[in-house]
Amino acid sequence: MSKLTTIALLGQPNSGKSTLFNALTGLHQHVGNWPGKTVEKKEGTFTHDGKEYALADLPGSYSLSANSDEEVITRDFISSGKADVVCILADSSQLERSLFMTADYVGITVPCFLVLNMSDVAKEQGKKIDAKALEKKLGVPVILFSATDTKSYEPFYTALEKAISSGKTIDASALEEAYHKIDGYQEIKSLIPDNLIPGYSSTWLAAKAIENDPVVTAKLTNNLPDEVMGKLKSLAVSGKGAIATGECKFAWIDSVLDGAVSSSKTSVSLGKLDRIYTHKFWGKPAVVLTVLLGLIASFIPALPLMGVGMGVDALKGVVATALANAGCPAFVMGLICDVGIQSLSYVIKMLGFVFGVTLVFGMLEEVGVMARISYVFDNTMGKLGLQGKSVMPFLVSFGCTMGGAAGARVIDNWGQKVLTIALAWAVPCGAAWAIIPMLSTVFFGAGAPLIIVALLLVMLLHMWVTAKVFGAGLVKSKDRYGMIMELPPYHKPKWGALLRYVFGRTKDTFLRVIKVVLLVCVIFWLLSYSGNGNGSSILYRIGVAIEPVTKLVGLPWQLFLAFIASSVGKEGAVGVISALYTGSDYGAAFSRAMSGGGAAANLNEILLANVGRPEALAFIFAITFNLPCVVALAATYQEIHSAKWTAKIALYYTVTALILACIAYHVGMLIW
Amino acid sequence: MDKLLKLLEDGHARTIVQLAMELNTSSEDVRRKVEYLEMIGVIRRISMTASSCKGCSGCGGEGHGDGKGGCSGCMPSGDLLHMGDMWEVVKR
Repeated sequence: MSKLTTIALLGQPNSGKSTLFNALTGLHQHVGNWPGKTVEKKEGTFTHDGKEYALADLPGSYSLSANSDEEVITRDFISSGKADVVCILADSSQLERSLFMTADYVGITVPCFLVLNMSDVAKEQGKKIDAKALEKKLGVPVILFSATDTKSYEPFYTALEKAISSGKTIDASALEEAYHKIDGYQEIKSLIPDNLIPGYSSTWLAAKAIENDPVVTAKLTNNLPDEVMGKLKSLAVSGKGAIATGECKFAWIDSVLDGAVSSSKTSVSLGKLDRIYTHKFWGKPAVVLTVLLGLIASFIPALPLMGVGMGVDALKGVVATALANAGCPAFVMGLICDVGIQSLSYVIKMLGFVFGVTLVFGMLEEVGVMARISYVFDNTMGKLGLQGKSVMPFLVSFGCTMGGAAGARVIDNWGQKVLTIALAWAVPCGAAWAIIPMLSTVFFGAGAPLIIVALLLVMLLHMWVTAKVFGAGLVKSKDRYGMIMELPPYHKPKWGALLRYVFGRTKDTFLRVIKVVLLVCVIFWLLSYSGNGNGSSILYRIGVAIEPVTKLVGLPWQLFLAFIASSVGKEGAVGVISALYTGSDYGAAFSRAMSGGGAAANLNEILLANVGRPEALAFIFAITFNLPCVVALAATYQEIHSAKWTAKIALYYTVTALILACIAYHVGMLIW
Repeated sequence: MDKLLKLLEDGHARTIVQLAMELNTSSEDVRRKVEYLEMIGVIRRISMTASSCKGCSGCGGEGHGDGKGGCSGCMPSGDLLHMGDMWEVVKR
């Protein structure tokens, strides 16, 4: 029996190699690993016209440079002489891109043929490909093919046999001519000895040497004089050589395709929306307006839940009456009503906002607006001394500051990383988005969206000031390259998935928040509990003692304690408010309830009666810009590995939050 | 591709479409070149996924956890799926 003819399948990932391999070999295949590598090795056999062929599926790789295991395996297989013929696959629907492997194959002396796979897709796109014209230019068999259409494999076998019998390789003259223009190419080529690596021509090797291919360069070290090696080294800097040969290859692809492929070409232009969002001047206002409208819209789904929360609040009176009738002690009654029901009422009110904000931001992200935001603010990042990608941790921080800190990992420069995290702290996190709109609505009713707008503006100012404060010590101005961005196309949101995500997130938040709020509320309620009203509790006495100081920043002692609690977690503030602003005098509330003189005092009313609007404003600013939470603090330390900087940032935030509170209080005094 | 990199030197971010317009070519042409530049290591894709989890002690630890599963110290996995792709020039 004669030796089997061995075919090697070569192609980029997703070029349809596996489909072709499976269709040809059927059950006659063996899957293993390439020796010493974790790359899958697939081999098989098939018979056609009584002739048996062996088929090797080379690992999918982008090109034939020696950057990865896949590429080294592929090259070694070709130079080993095991392949009698190489079948190169390319994706017909994007030939400009997928012919790169073919361009990289030019100069290899193993016979080959080109299979333009997925021709059905190209046809759908309205592309007409003239395989005969391509065949003429390349000098090897070229076929239009669809590996999924297993009934029409005849052209494949024909091309295969033709490639074997003719033994031709791709015509390298055109590409060679282009290479000649690269400085040093001819010199290097002339110095390469014949058969340095079997299967590869000196054209191919010289190009690879210019690309700083490690394997080829290592082989050449002994053959090239120092002067030429020096030239190669200088070409290796910032991929200069690889860019030069790459440019030649792309130009070669274009010249090969020229006249052989016709498609209904669409001119390059920006979509209507993108013309606004990526506009130099209008981009920023457009994005900011979109986000603000989104935030205001997020209040709409929140309002019904506010109502439910109030309903739960009203239950307090009913439950208190029922418990009192059952002879329940005042302590237990307080625990159930003031702590349990009260906290629940708060958390339910918050959930509406969690739902609303998550929905709106989820939608903006899904539609593709978020990606535009990162584009628009890229330049601003530069002005803050940051890289454009810092905008990503900021966007993540709207969800959770920890995520933002972890996201800052993409920034390799330590100083910039620290600065990014320091600024990300100013971004109100998910917990803040739950509490702040809720408290704003309680205190300011319909004016709440205005408060949110003010907070966002202050946030931008805060970030700018913080960047100035910390920036000098952390980042040095350097040459900055712009990013390349592929903006996703706009598309309609998938409502099912989006709602599932929003509901899931709301549920998670509910479970987390209710735990924190209940815990904090119980502690503070116990501390403030005294058998006979709150006149003699320890907390009350401490509170009254510190109030002269806390009043300086506009906070009554109860709110100041809530501010302290918000350093642990923003939700904690609600627990404190819940505990300290209940109708603590249970005797009175009870008797009022009993006498039918209205339900036990509504918390909103108590809050509004006890806290003035300027104080409320001060409090809202204080907790928004306080440090996010202890866990974020830990995450920050974990990312920046500097206790000094973590402490610095934490202290800075505590102080600035109080300063901002003070300013807000005085501004509030002027307004109201 | 030298021209493309030269454009980026001014520090401004550009989209693939904008690059195509400035370089007077098609967006497919820019895309394949971006792919090539990434392959040869001149530019680098910015990855914001949880795959950068290495060395994160938050994994398994108790954290903020949005309850999304996975590591609470890492990027929340359900977020930022439609941010498109970004590449930065690798400085040497």
